[in-house]
Amino acid sequence: MNDPEAFVSGLKLLGAGLAMISAIGAGFGVGLAAFGGVQAMGRNPDAAPIIQTNMILGMAFAEAIAIYALAVALIIIFAA
Amino acid sequence: MSEEQTKKGFNWRKWVIYFCILAGIYSAFLGPSILKPISPVVVLPAEPTGLSIGGFEITNTMLATLLADLILLTIAVFVVGKFMRSGSLVPGGFYNAFEALVEFLWNTVEGAAGKWAFRIFPVPATIFLLIFVANLVKLVPGFESIGRIKEVHHGYGYAPVLLTKVGNLSIYTIDKAQKREHVAKEGEHGEGHVDQEKLCEACEIVPFLRGSATDLNFPFALAFIAVLMTQVYGVWALGIGYFEKFIPIRQLIKGGAMGAINFIVGILELILEFAKILSFGFRLFGNIFAGTLLLSIVGALTAVLVPVGLYFFEVFFGIIQAYVFYLLATIFISGATVSHHAEEAH
Repeated sequence: MNDPEAFVSGLKLLGAGLAMISAIGAGFGVGLAAFGGVQAMGRNPDAAPIIQTNMILGMAFAEAIAIYALAVALIIIFAA
Repeated sequence: MSEEQTKKGFNWRKWVIYFCILAGIYSAFLGPSILKPISPVVVLPAEPTGLSIGGFEITNTMLATLLADLILLTIAVFVVGKFMRSGSLVPGGFYNAFEALVEFLWNTVEGAAGKWAFRIFPVPATIFLLIFVANLVKLVPGFESIGRIKEVHHGYGYAPVLLTKVGNLSIYTIDKAQKREHVAKEGEHGEGHVDQEKLCEACEIVPFLRGSATDLNFPFALAFIAVLMTQVYGVWALGIGYFEKFIPIRQLIKGGAMGAINFIVGILELILEFAKILSFGFRLFGNIFAGTLLLSIVGALTAVLVPVGLYFFEVFFGIIQAYVFYLLATIFISGATVSHHAEEAH
């Protein structure tokens, strides 16, 4: 506590770590997409290629949320 | 006779693999304990390699990208070109694998874009091949561990240990057991050449080659190209009316209240276009950088068994990330060639 600079840089790392909590939501989203996709493919194996493409697309969009969190975390550590 | 030969070749390959595993175990655990896994320096910006062209410094990630380019050109000239010149119609060997890959890419584009597929195909496929090769070539051993040895600027470094001498080139490694703190020397700002002469006290390794996607510039350049080409194809397909997707002035004038809402939605789409660059770039960068970090940390903890599994995981992820980048680029570009209002009219 006697060194304010070290205190602030420590808090930055803490903030970056907290920002990555949003990975919970993204992980949930990716899992949900895989769940739906695999179930649909099990029911209708003929449509597997189309479902797979859309599943990966949905996963990529869900993952984007985690990527924004990563961007925020990197900005907190390196730029702020 | 020929069966004997193939059998012999197979055995030879098997023994090479056994030898590699034994050599790895020896150098990691039983040997002089010097070749402990060297975790690469985890830094965000690419480090300069010391080479430069006309004052333009070449970083190690740039060298890695050039290497990937070189591999692609070699494949194009010596594999595909040779097959084309040979005039044979039956594909075989490496060319067959390459053709299967391109065919797979083509099927995806054709499924998404329909009659525009032929014009769209080159852009995402080029991006895919570059990311694919760059992600796989980054996993070759020595890629992030062989480099110049350098004094650390702050924090901790490790003591250098002489390995061998080839001619008048000394090869050093760093000893993880001897941790040394960086000593700040006052009044010594203009080092540079002095560093080359005397050895560092607390050292780190600046690799010659580092995975291209671990540098933010590489994925962002590709993301920028992908989003820019989306606009280009949109204008190509729909003319200047393509931009009405972003600024729907006609709807604002004619549409009344709904027109005003559509106007704001259009502006949101304009913002979304910039968000695409961000998510494209950070997705590739984040995955590959996290993979490098994971390998370096786990490689420093356990030496022999676990990193093999993680290496396989990284190969898989390199391919998947290239595919995701390619798929999103394809879908965005083919979406831009379809008129927005034609769908609404139905």
